[in-house]
Amino acid sequence: MDDRGRRVDFLAEGFRRAAALIAGGDPDLYGSAALSLRVAAAATIIACGLGIPAGFALAGRRFWGRRAALVLVNTALAVPTVVVGLLLYGVLSRRGPLGGLEWLYTWQAIVVGDVLLALPIAVALSAAAVEGVDPRVRRTALTLGAGRWRTAWTVAREARFALMAVVTAAFGQVVAEVGAAMIVGGNIRGETRTLTTAVALGTAQGDFGLALALGVVLLALALAVNAALQVLQGRGRD
Amino acid sequence: MIELRDVRHRYGDRLVLDLPAFALPAGARVAIVGHNGAGKSTLLRLLALLEAPTEGVVLFDGHAVTGRAIGRVRRRVTLVEQRPILLRGTVRDNLAYGLAARGVRGAARERAVAGAAERLGVVPLLGRRRTELSDGEVQRVAVARALAAGPDVLLLDEPASSADRAAVLGLHDALERERAERGLTVCLASHQLEDAYRWSDDLRTLADGRLSPVTPENLFRVSLPADGTEGVKHVRVGRAEIAVLTERSGHAILAVPPTDILVSAAPLATSARNQLSGHVSRVARVRSGAGVHVTADVGVELTAVVTAEAVRELALAPGRPVVFSFKASAVRVF
Repeated sequence: MDDRGRRVDFLAEGFRRAAALIAGGDPDLYGSAALSLRVAAAATIIACGLGIPAGFALAGRRFWGRRAALVLVNTALAVPTVVVGLLLYGVLSRRGPLGGLEWLYTWQAIVVGDVLLALPIAVALSAAAVEGVDPRVRRTALTLGAGRWRTAWTVAREARFALMAVVTAAFGQVVAEVGAAMIVGGNIRGETRTLTTAVALGTAQGDFGLALALGVVLLALALAVNAALQVLQGRGRD
Repeated sequence: MIELRDVRHRYGDRLVLDLPAFALPAGARVAIVGHNGAGKSTLLRLLALLEAPTEGVVLFDGHAVTGRAIGRVRRRVTLVEQRPILLRGTVRDNLAYGLAARGVRGAARERAVAGAAERLGVVPLLGRRRTELSDGEVQRVAVARALAAGPDVLLLDEPASSADRAAVLGLHDALERERAERGLTVCLASHQLEDAYRWSDDLRTLADGRLSPVTPENLFRVSLPADGTEGVKHVRVGRAEIAVLTERSGHAILAVPPTDILVSAAPLATSARNQLSGHVSRVARVRSGAGVHVTADVGVELTAVVTAEAVRELALAPGRPVVFSFKASAVRVF
């Protein structure tokens, strides 16, 4: 067999092993998938729960330091995940300021790292979403007697497609994240091994089939969540 | 009822409103007229408490409106914008919005929605969504939505801009009924003078953010020269040259009060420094007791107010030659 033949065979073998692991219900594979889903869901909910109201405040109010806050948020979008992981490692390590929580090498630490990475996305994109809403919507709500919360809800309903995109982007960030999860999670089998960190490990150990199977499951997971969000968006049309 | 005091409002460095005093008394029917960019929409937004004046204060029933009072007063003053927007949902949802914000629920809300829809003739539209409506329908629904909320003061920005004649009359009737039933205060901004005269009994003119001391016809934005002869300056307005007695120079608004224009069929030997010849373009009786408005192109379009008897005697009709005379001292500068 020539070199090219061996390379094709290597890939085909990888896909065959991936199919066998997925079909056979491999506990490591599905354990990592379940953990990834749990971590991504928790981090997305927290990041959007904090980031979307912050985005509303940044877009809707003129206050001292607003411009600086926007610069900060936009800069945070470009921070590498490993840098976030490194800083969080320092904070959560035994000698760090939050060492007492004993969260280092737990799934909670991965959630915190993912929240830090997804938060700037949620803030920046939701601020852009709110700024994209016709200003007459807010004025109409206010002149009809709506209070602050009803007005915000009315604006959010008008920006629902853009806000759904915020959730999708935040989920995409956290489900694909590997650098911070590796550093603060430790990639411990059965405890903090997410799909992405398992892919990294499988590739490093030469188990291409396992890595490929994990990648396929990760893609399927992302596809399923995005499809669900798309269905929700479709229901929200005028 | 609602009042602006010592208000100066700026967008950046640009002064857009300068109103030492402006008040809407309870039950009044006020029209604000002025050219595009005169500050009409900004004034309405300040009255609706949607913008805070850069300087000065807004008062409601004699009390300064600040802090938490802003939300309370907003529930009594509602603005319908020039190009109103409908919120997500059906027309029925839109009509119910202001009521829901006031905590009105159940049958009371349904009754109020049905009443407002009936008054503005939008009952057949109740189940429709905003994408299924024409601009005129959106405007009517927006007025119905504002009335359904039951405000004490209704502010309308160019309410006839997207409506046909029948819809405008329907809107007028609905507002009159509302005023008769519960003493609603109405203030509308319009650039259509005839509508403003018909709809209001208190006409105010904005020019470059300031209230004009005279009626809205014959206003011109000019640049006055620095020097004149014995205080008389000559300013070109359109194809006409107007003599003005003033000390001022630079940017200013000229106002020729329509009641100060003498209308004749031929030039007269008078002290008036301005004698402009042209042809009548329009003759309109705007309201009983307000005289007849004769508009002529005399190098620039000017309107004079004369009696019906004068119209008959001079046979004033579109196309007829005419001379407009007025003194240099009659021209107001502000």
